[in-house]
Amino acid sequence: MAKRCFVWFSAVVLLFLPIGGLFSRALAGTPGEAEEIMRRSALVQFYSGNDMRANVTMRLLSKDGGERVRELIMTRRNVKAGGDQKYFILFRQPADVRDMTFLVWKYPQRDSDRWLYIPAIKLVKRIAANDKRSSFVGSDFSYEDVSGRAAEEDNHALLREEKYEGKEILVIKSVPKDAKSADFGYKVSWIDKGNFVLWKEEYYDKRGSLSKVFTADEVKPIQGFPTTVKRTMKNVQTGHWTETAYGEVKYNLGLADGVFSERSLRNPPKELAR
Amino acid sequence: MKYFAAVALSAALSLYPCASVLALSLHGFVGGAGGFRLTDDPAQARDATMGEGRLQVELSQDGPADSRLFFKADLIGDGVEERGDADLREFYLDVSPAQVIDIRAGRQILTWGTGDLIFINDLFPKDFVSYFIGRSLEYLKVGSDAVKFSLYPGLFSLDLVAVPHFTASEVPQGERLSFFNPFTNRIAAPGESLSILSMRKPAATPENTELALRLYRTFGSYEGALYGFRGFFKEPVGMDPAGGTLFYPGLSVYGTSVQGPLLGGVAGFEFGYYDSREDRPGRNPLIENPSLRYLVGYERELRTDFTVRAQYYLEQMLEHGAYKASLPPGAPEKKEYRHLLFLRVTRLLRYQTVELSFIGFYGPSDEDGMVNPQASCKITDRMSVALGANVFFGKKGSTQFGQLEKDDNLYLRLRASY
Repeated sequence: MAKRCFVWFSAVVLLFLPIGGLFSRALAGTPGEAEEIMRRSALVQFYSGNDMRANVTMRLLSKDGGERVRELIMTRRNVKAGGDQKYFILFRQPADVRDMTFLVWKYPQRDSDRWLYIPAIKLVKRIAANDKRSSFVGSDFSYEDVSGRAAEEDNHALLREEKYEGKEILVIKSVPKDAKSADFGYKVSWIDKGNFVLWKEEYYDKRGSLSKVFTADEVKPIQGFPTTVKRTMKNVQTGHWTETAYGEVKYNLGLADGVFSERSLRNPPKELAR
Repeated sequence: MKYFAAVALSAALSLYPCASVLALSLHGFVGGAGGFRLTDDPAQARDATMGEGRLQVELSQDGPADSRLFFKADLIGDGVEERGDADLREFYLDVSPAQVIDIRAGRQILTWGTGDLIFINDLFPKDFVSYFIGRSLEYLKVGSDAVKFSLYPGLFSLDLVAVPHFTASEVPQGERLSFFNPFTNRIAAPGESLSILSMRKPAATPENTELALRLYRTFGSYEGALYGFRGFFKEPVGMDPAGGTLFYPGLSVYGTSVQGPLLGGVAGFEFGYYDSREDRPGRNPLIENPSLRYLVGYERELRTDFTVRAQYYLEQMLEHGAYKASLPPGAPEKKEYRHLLFLRVTRLLRYQTVELSFIGFYGPSDEDGMVNPQASCKITDRMSVALGANVFFGKKGSTQFGQLEKDDNLYLRLRASY
């Protein structure tokens, strides 16, 4: 009896499986399309212009009223659009990290090279950095949230299209191909259908509970590039959040590749330091 | 020099109201630090290893054409030595006369190499006393009065440093920490400090000008460097029994290093040939023998905000046979190979505002070592506190850590930055 039931059940499943597949594909678009949307969104978030600099102010806030401030000048240069990048960061605040510099050579497909310069002892220290999810300067943003996660690292599916704060939005779910490559189980992204700006992102932990929420609070065009000048990352599980403002944003400064070197770490040239 | 530093510091402080007008950048900190012995040391009269207040003033002024003047000095009230002091940490001028040349002239801190607290090709002066009593890491390095030329022709980079005026490393000499007196072959008695035995520094003559060179470049993610040095040992490893003095023998070093990613972490290798110019045949037991020195290091973030670094250091005496044959009876014998293991574990907590760290050295050949656990906390963006201990062990008083066996200390530091 049980055996016959199993056969019937299997037949029903087999019959409906392809139809279910077709049905969901019609709703979600092809996985390739969703990945293409994420790739274009990453280009807008992290690759606009050949290079870019900004004064970044981060306010780290806790629910008990605690506040810490991180101020830095961030400069980046694309070695290849959508591919390798170089970042240079000069810390301005707080006092204990003032004048520290940080250099990152980022490769989407392997670990970044990172160097930290500690001015008090004139030491250039190579940083072991295999964890892209570790916190950036103690904030709720991880390294990956600041410099981007390669679209190829996740499987993407278009969940739906919807209106979000008056904008036409594509809602995409992304699941890491390698669970160990991320600290989230999956994430859901709200992407502007018109200009591919990321307006909101929800990170769910490996048990499926909401852990962090990213929101773009102000986006404005700078030199023709839509630029997220105010953003927030909130850890909904701890109640801690970080508000980040990008000021004096400039694109296409014409920075040479050689500027992203040990020389600049030890003695930052004016184009990286102001 | 001290008076000069004090005068310069007060001049700098009096400039404070005009700082914004002159576009000067003024920063620094006020701090206090105390430390005391955990064990009774018969060689030491005082229980305190550290008790001091510091005011640090840092001024920097940008000039025309990428030039910059930098000044950093500490005013110190020292309860252990019962005196006030001023320490001119750095005072230099940066200029870039051409696109590919940077020059830094004046008192400056110089650091290079791949080691963590173990140095082979970094032959610039250090203050090991500060490190062993628990001052913050910046006091491990001492400024050199030097000119540094940095050249960036493209394919590689080159640093060339000339140090006309010799600066020695600070080593334990009986004032706060015990030391092994090589003349009496035992740990020094109370009041018997190394400064009483005179330490003869190389004269400041043109031919004694120290030269240090580093040629380096990257190969993809890997960094390679060649080093050269001609000068003097920074520790007093020469003895003159006739004059009852210790001195800093001539030293040349030729070395290399590579560093880069390996297995999800960073690995480094460094090598140096120490040519002890005043005792090349190794027959003089009163002067450090020539040696080969090797360092392998590996660091990895095992999980988020948890990093482990391990190092293995090997020092090979080159003329051990000649050294052994010439050693007077009763003198402590150094081994041909000195091995040193190093471990650093760092854990960051509470949004990276709390750091727990552990540093350990262990020398299997000398059977000595030390451990330094420390907890530090950034109470606010401006206020920080650190609590830690240095515990030394060793079977023989003649070894690096063994001489400090009775100097175990606990320390507390507070700092408010402005």
